[in-house]
Amino acid sequence: MLDVNDIHVTYGRLRALKGVSLSVKEGEIVCLIGPNGAGKSTTLASIAGGVTPHRGTISLEGKPLAGVGPEGIARLGVSLVPEGRHVFGALTVAENLRVATYMRKDRSAIAADYDRVLALFPRLQERIGSPGGRLSGGEQQMLVIARALLTKPRLLLVDEPSLGLAPKIVDQVYDILLAARKMEGLTLLINEQSSHRILKHADRIYVIRGGHIQLHDTAANLQDGEAIKRAYFGFGEEAAIDEEDAA
Amino acid sequence: MIGLLQNLVDAANLGSLYALAALGVGLLFGILRLVNFAHGDFISIGAYALIVPSFEVTAQLFIGEWNWALMIPTVTLIVVIVALISDALVFQPLRRASAPTLMIASFAVSYVIQNGILMIYGARPKAANLWSGLDTPILLGELRVPLLQIITIGVTLALMVALTLFLKQTRYGVMMRAAAEDFRMAQYLGVNGNFVIGLAFAISGILATAVSLLYLSQTGTLAPTMGVPLALFAFVATVIGGMGSLLGAVVGGFLVGFIVIMLQAYLPEDLRPFRDAFAFTFVILILLVRPSGIVPTRAFIERV
Repeated sequence: MLDVNDIHVTYGRLRALKGVSLSVKEGEIVCLIGPNGAGKSTTLASIAGGVTPHRGTISLEGKPLAGVGPEGIARLGVSLVPEGRHVFGALTVAENLRVATYMRKDRSAIAADYDRVLALFPRLQERIGSPGGRLSGGEQQMLVIARALLTKPRLLLVDEPSLGLAPKIVDQVYDILLAARKMEGLTLLINEQSSHRILKHADRIYVIRGGHIQLHDTAANLQDGEAIKRAYFGFGEEAAIDEEDAA
Repeated sequence: MIGLLQNLVDAANLGSLYALAALGVGLLFGILRLVNFAHGDFISIGAYALIVPSFEVTAQLFIGEWNWALMIPTVTLIVVIVALISDALVFQPLRRASAPTLMIASFAVSYVIQNGILMIYGARPKAANLWSGLDTPILLGELRVPLLQIITIGVTLALMVALTLFLKQTRYGVMMRAAAEDFRMAQYLGVNGNFVIGLAFAISGILATAVSLLYLSQTGTLAPTMGVPLALFAFVATVIGGMGSLLGAVVGGFLVGFIVIMLQAYLPEDLRPFRDAFAFTFVILILLVRPSGIVPTRAFIERV
C-alpha cells in the first residue's frame, strides 16, 4: 500500500533523515520505534506531505506522492495524527470533528460515520460543545484520533500516541485504535519511543535511529527485545560512526 | 456634557473605520501571518474605482454615479479581484516565506498600487462628492449627528455581525478558524490551504471596500496615498488589540479612534498638530501594560 524509498530530509543544516525506506501493506499494523530525534516524526510528516524530502520517493498504491501536498494526500486517504495533539483549541469538539469531514465527497455517509466514530469515544460525546483547548490531555488525544477517523482514511499515521499520557489512558488509546482498525478496516503506521506495548499489537517493526533504519523484522521475531535494544541504543561499532555523523 | 457626547459619537464613527480596516488586516494576519500594509491601498482602489480615470482635479464620478445597489457590488468585486490577484502573483509564491518577508512583500504591493494610481489618475488629490445627501444632520435631543456617521457605525456593526456569523456558522468559516489556529493541521485534515487564504483575501477586500466608500463619502477627497494612514492606524489597532484576535482588532480599532478624537478635542490648541504623537504615546503605554495586546491569543506564538 505504502512504499517509502530512500528518503532524505534536511532542516537547514540538520540532516533528519539519511535514506529511510519502509513499506506498509494493506491491513497491517507497522510500528516505527526509535529514541527522541531519531527521525520518526519527520518520516510520518514526509508521508503526510508536511515535509518535502529532497531525495527519494514515497508512493501510495504505486502512485508517487511528490508534489501532491498535505491536503491532497489527506484526500487520497492518508491521515496523520501528529505528535503534540494539535487540537484546534478555540473550536468546539464538534467543530474540530466537522473540519475533518469538509473535504469528503460522500456527504450522505458523513452523518452515519459521525455517530459510529463517536460511539467509540463516549467521553467526547459528553464534551461535544466544549472548546478543544479545555479538554484534558487524554481527551485531546481521543479527539485528534476521532477527527482523523472522520476523514475516512485507509492509512492512519499515528505519531507517538502515548506521549505525555498516563499508562491507563495509553491503554485506552490503543484499545480505541485497535477497535477503529477493526471497524474501519484501517492500516496503521504508528510511531513510538518504547517497544514494550507495541510488540503485542504490531505485525512488523522498524527501528530508526540517527535518520537511518537500523532494524526491520516481524514482531514475532523480535519478541525477546534484545535485537531491538541493540538497534535502538546502537551498541556495536556502527554507533561510533553514527555519533560522528550527527556531530 | 453635550460636547462630550458629540465627541463620543465622532469617536465611534472614526473608530468604526479603524475597526473595519483592522479586521481586514487581522483576518489575513490570523490565517497567513501576513501583516498586510497593502490593505490601505486596497482601500484607495475602492475609492478610485468610482471615478473616471483622468488627471483632472475635480473627479467625475463614473461607477460612483450608479444606483447604490449596483455600485456597491461592482466596487466590491473590483477590490476583491485586486486582492486575489495580489495573492496569486505575490503572496502565493511566498507561501513558505517568513513573516517579515511577507510584510516586505506587502510594502511592494502597496507601492505598485500607489504608483499605478499615480499613472492613471495623476498625483494631485481630487475632490469627489459621493452620497452628498447623507450630510444632513439628525437631531437626537440636542445632539446633532450627521446621518453619514450613523450609517458608518451601523454598517460597521452589521459587517461585524455578518463576519461573526460567517465564521461561527458556516463550513467555510469553521475551516478558516481552524486554519487560523493551526494551518498545517487543517491541511492534514484536507482543508485546501490556498482556498482558505484566497477566501481571507476576498473578505479582507470586502471590508476594505466598505472603508473606501464610507471614508470617501465623509472626506470627499481622493489621493493616491489616502489609504496609508488608515492602514497604519489599523495595524496599530491590531497590535494593541492583540495580534491574531479579531475581537482584539475591533476593540483596538475603536480604542484608537477614541484616543485620536479625544486628543483632537481636548488637547490645548498649540499641541493639536502633534495629536498623532500623543496618540502613539498612549499606544506605547498600553503595550507596556499589556505587551500581547488587550485580547491575547496563542496563535502568535504558536505557529511553527
